[in-house]
Amino acid sequence: MTSGAHPFFTLDIGSATVGGGLVARIEGRWRLLASAAVPAGVGVEPLLRRLAEGVAAADANLLGGAGDWREWARVESRTGPPPRVVVAGPSDRAVEPLLHAFATDGWQTTATVTPERAAALDAAVALRDPDLALVVVAAPEGAGGREREALLDVAALIGAMAGLREDLPVLVAGSAAASIPDFPPERIVRAHGPADAVAVAREAVPRPCEGREGFIRSIVSLAAILDLRIEGVDVGFDAGTRVLAGPDGLMRRLVLADAALVPPGALEDQRMLDAIARWSPLADDAYAVRDRLRNLRIAPWRDAAGDGARLRLAAARAALDRLQEAWQDDARERGRGFLRLPDRGATGEEDVSPDLVIASGGAFAAPPGPAVALALVDTLRRPGAVALTLDHARILGPLGVLDDESDRRRLLADLVDDVLLPLGSAIVAPGLRPARRGSLRVTADGATTTLPLTSGAVQVVDLPPGLAATAELDSPDDLYVGARARRVAFSVTGGLGGLLVDTRDIPLRLPERPERRREYLDAWQRPLWTNAEP
Amino acid sequence: MSATPVLDRIPLRSARLSEPSVRLALRPGDVPLVEPGDRVAPGDPLLRRPRHPQVGEQALHGMTAPQPGTRFGEGMTLAGGGRHPLRFDGAGEVLYATPGGRLRAVISRHHAIVESPVAGTVVSLDACALDIRVDGVAIQGAMVVGEPSFGPLIIAVDSAEAELHAQGIDVRHAGAVLVAGSRVDVESLTRARAMGVRGVIAGGVIGGDVLALRASIDRQEASVHASPAFALVVLDGYGKRPIPRDAWDALTLAAGETVGLTVTPPLVVLPRGATHAESEPDRVRVAAGPHLGRIGRAVELAGSRRQAAGVYQDCVRVALDPLVSPGPPDLVDVPIADLERDG
Repeated sequence: MTSGAHPFFTLDIGSATVGGGLVARIEGRWRLLASAAVPAGVGVEPLLRRLAEGVAAADANLLGGAGDWREWARVESRTGPPPRVVVAGPSDRAVEPLLHAFATDGWQTTATVTPERAAALDAAVALRDPDLALVVVAAPEGAGGREREALLDVAALIGAMAGLREDLPVLVAGSAAASIPDFPPERIVRAHGPADAVAVAREAVPRPCEGREGFIRSIVSLAAILDLRIEGVDVGFDAGTRVLAGPDGLMRRLVLADAALVPPGALEDQRMLDAIARWSPLADDAYAVRDRLRNLRIAPWRDAAGDGARLRLAAARAALDRLQEAWQDDARERGRGFLRLPDRGATGEEDVSPDLVIASGGAFAAPPGPAVALALVDTLRRPGAVALTLDHARILGPLGVLDDESDRRRLLADLVDDVLLPLGSAIVAPGLRPARRGSLRVTADGATTTLPLTSGAVQVVDLPPGLAATAELDSPDDLYVGARARRVAFSVTGGLGGLLVDTRDIPLRLPERPERRREYLDAWQRPLWTNAEP
Repeated sequence: MSATPVLDRIPLRSARLSEPSVRLALRPGDVPLVEPGDRVAPGDPLLRRPRHPQVGEQALHGMTAPQPGTRFGEGMTLAGGGRHPLRFDGAGEVLYATPGGRLRAVISRHHAIVESPVAGTVVSLDACALDIRVDGVAIQGAMVVGEPSFGPLIIAVDSAEAELHAQGIDVRHAGAVLVAGSRVDVESLTRARAMGVRGVIAGGVIGGDVLALRASIDRQEASVHASPAFALVVLDGYGKRPIPRDAWDALTLAAGETVGLTVTPPLVVLPRGATHAESEPDRVRVAAGPHLGRIGRAVELAGSRRQAAGVYQDCVRVALDPLVSPGPPDLVDVPIADLERDG
C-alpha cells in the first residue's frame, strides 16, 4: 500500500525530551507505524529520520510512494515552563480564589501582592521579572470601605510598575468599575471573577499548540469515542496534568506546576526532596538521594536504568501524590462554593474509579510497564476496578492541538489500539481486616485460578495483554469498592502488569520510620520489577 | 559504518557558545551607568545598585507627582519648591503615587557598583533587564550560585577528576577565579570567599553545600560592609562529577586570562583571544552511569539493549579511552541518553 498513505509525524516537544510518532493510513485505517523519544538536545530531525528509516527498513513498500520524509506533515505540540503570574488584590480574602484558580490551571504565581502579604518593594521586584506573563488584580464586587481603599492603592502600584513595561497585560477580575490608573487601557483585559479569569488569561497569554491542553482535549475526545469515563494523568518536566472526562464531555481538569517530576523549587527545598525520597525503596544515604533527585531535575533523560528507574518512579509517585492532594483540595473548594465555578459535570461519582486511566509524559517513558501500573495504583487511589494504559508514543498531546474535533475523533478512533499500551487492570478494595483472609478467583478463557486474598497487600495475577477475565473477591469483611460488599465481581482486562488486586488503605499509609517504609515499598514493588535485571 | 548517523542521535551538550547574550536583571532603585551600544570590559561599571533599599513616603501636598521610574539623587527636589520641596532622605527611584496623595519611592543611602563580568556590547536596556552580547566564547554551566563576577583564571587542581580542598586556597588566589576539579565543598568555598577569591568553577557540588553557600552569601549581603561579588559555576551537576574534558581543555588554555562568570545564563566566559580547543567530531562523553566522565569514540549504533531494572534503551557502542594509557580502548554499549557530544 503505497498511495494514499498520507503519512504524518506527531511531535510532543517538551523541555527535557521530544516524543515522536509516525502515523499513516494503511488499508483504509490510520495506524501508528513507529514511535520514539529522545533527549531534547538531540533535536527533531534525527528523531524523524530514525522513525522514517525504521519503517522503511521494516517494509520498504509501506510508505515507498509517499515521497521524502522531510516533506511529510507534522502535527506538533509543545510544553514549556508554566507561565508566570503576579496576583494582586485588596486583601488575602479577595485573592485566595484567584490564587487557587491560577495554581490549578498550570500557572506559576511568583508573588502575591496584598496589603497583608507584600510590601511595595517586594511587589516592585516581582513586577520587574522579565519572564512575567501576566498581572491579575482581584477587584471583588461589593468590597467594604477598607478593601475599596486598599484596592485603589494596589491598583496604583500595579499601574505604575506594570506601566514601566511595554508588553505586560493586566487582568482585572471582578468589578467592572475597577480601574488601573495611568495604565494603557488596551493592555487591560477583564473577567467577571475567578470563575472565568483563567479562561480570559489563556486568551490574553496565548500558548499555541500547548501540549497539556492538547492532552486534555484528546482525553475528552477518547471518552466520547469509547463511551467511557476516562482519567488522564501526565507527569512531565514542567508540570503535571490530571483530567477526568466522560461520554458527555469534560468533568474536571487540573494542571499543576508543582506536580512536575522534580519541580524547580525542589533544588533548594530539602523537605520537598525528602517527600519525594519517601517513595523510594532504595537504601542510599539521604544526601546521595537528594543529589540524584536534583540531577533528575537538571538532566531528566540521564540515568534512566537500574536504581535510576526506581528513583524516577519515586519522583513520579510523589508528583502524582501532589496532583491527588491538589485534586482533593480543588474538590473541597468547589464543594463549599468558594470558587463559584460553573458545574462542569462533577457529580460526586468522581470518588469511584474511572473505567480507564491513561498515563502520559516523560516520567513514565522509561520504566517497565508493570512498575508504572503500580505507581498509578499507589497514588490515584479510588475504590473499584480500573483499566490502566500508557500513551507510550506521547501522541495524545499533538493530536489534541488539532483544531477540528471531528478530525481528532476520526484519528483517535483508528489509533486507539495502537497508542494505548495496556498496562493491566487494578482492583482497589480496602476493608479486609488484618490477619483475615478472603479469596480471589480469576476466570479467563474458561480456566479459573483461586488465590488467597490478604489484607494490606498488592497481589499480582498474570493476565496477558488482550485477555479478558472475571475477577471475584470473596471476603469475610466488607470490602469498599465504591459500595460495601463481601462478594464482588469485576470484568478486567490484561496488560503488561497483569491484574493488580490491592487491599491497602485509601489513602495509602506509609510507615514513618525510613527502614520500615522502605521494607513495605520494596515488598509491594518487588513483584512488579521481577526479572527486571538484564 | 559511518559515525555521522550515530552522532546525530547523541544529545548535544551546548557547551561552547559563541558570542552569547547575558542578562542582568534590574531591581527597583538600580541606576544604569551604560546605554545600548556601549562597549564594556570586565570591571567596567554597569549599574549603581542600592544597598539595603527601603520604601520611603512623602506627602505630595497637591503637587504633581513625578512619573514612576523617575530616578533621583540624595537631596534632589522632585517637586515643589520654596519651603516645602518634595525630596527624600537618600537616592532612589519613584515607585508610585498613592490615591491618598503620598509619593512612595525606593531609597537608599548606600550604593554599590555592579561591574561588568564580561567584555561585550550593551544591546538592550529596559525597566527589567540589561542585555550584553559577549565577545568571545563561553562554556555553559549546569547551574550557578552567587553574583556575576570575573577574575584571572587559576587552575587549582591537577586534573578534571581531582578535588579542591580548603588547605589548597590561600591569599595568592585573592581576586582570581579558581578551577576546582570534580567537586568543591563548603569549607573550600567559605575559605575561598574569605581569601577574596572571585569565583570557583567545578564539575559538581553537593546540594547541601549549595544551600550553605547561598545562606552565607545572603548573610553577607545583609551585613553593613559590601563584599566583592562571588560566583560558583557548576559545569555538570550535583555530586562528584569530573569537569567535562572539552571544558577542561578550554579552561587550561585560558589559564592566566581574565574570565567572566555570569548568572543568567550560567556561563564561564573566556576572552576573545583564548583559543578554544576543537574537539574531534566523533568524540563523546559518558554523562551518567558507571562510566561517568569517561570519554571515547562512538563506533556504531548498538540497538535497543535491556538494562538494569528491565529498562530498554537505545545504545551506542563506544570505544572508551583506556583508564591506563597506553592500552586498548574499552568497548562498551552505553545508553544514548547517558552520552553527550560537544557542540
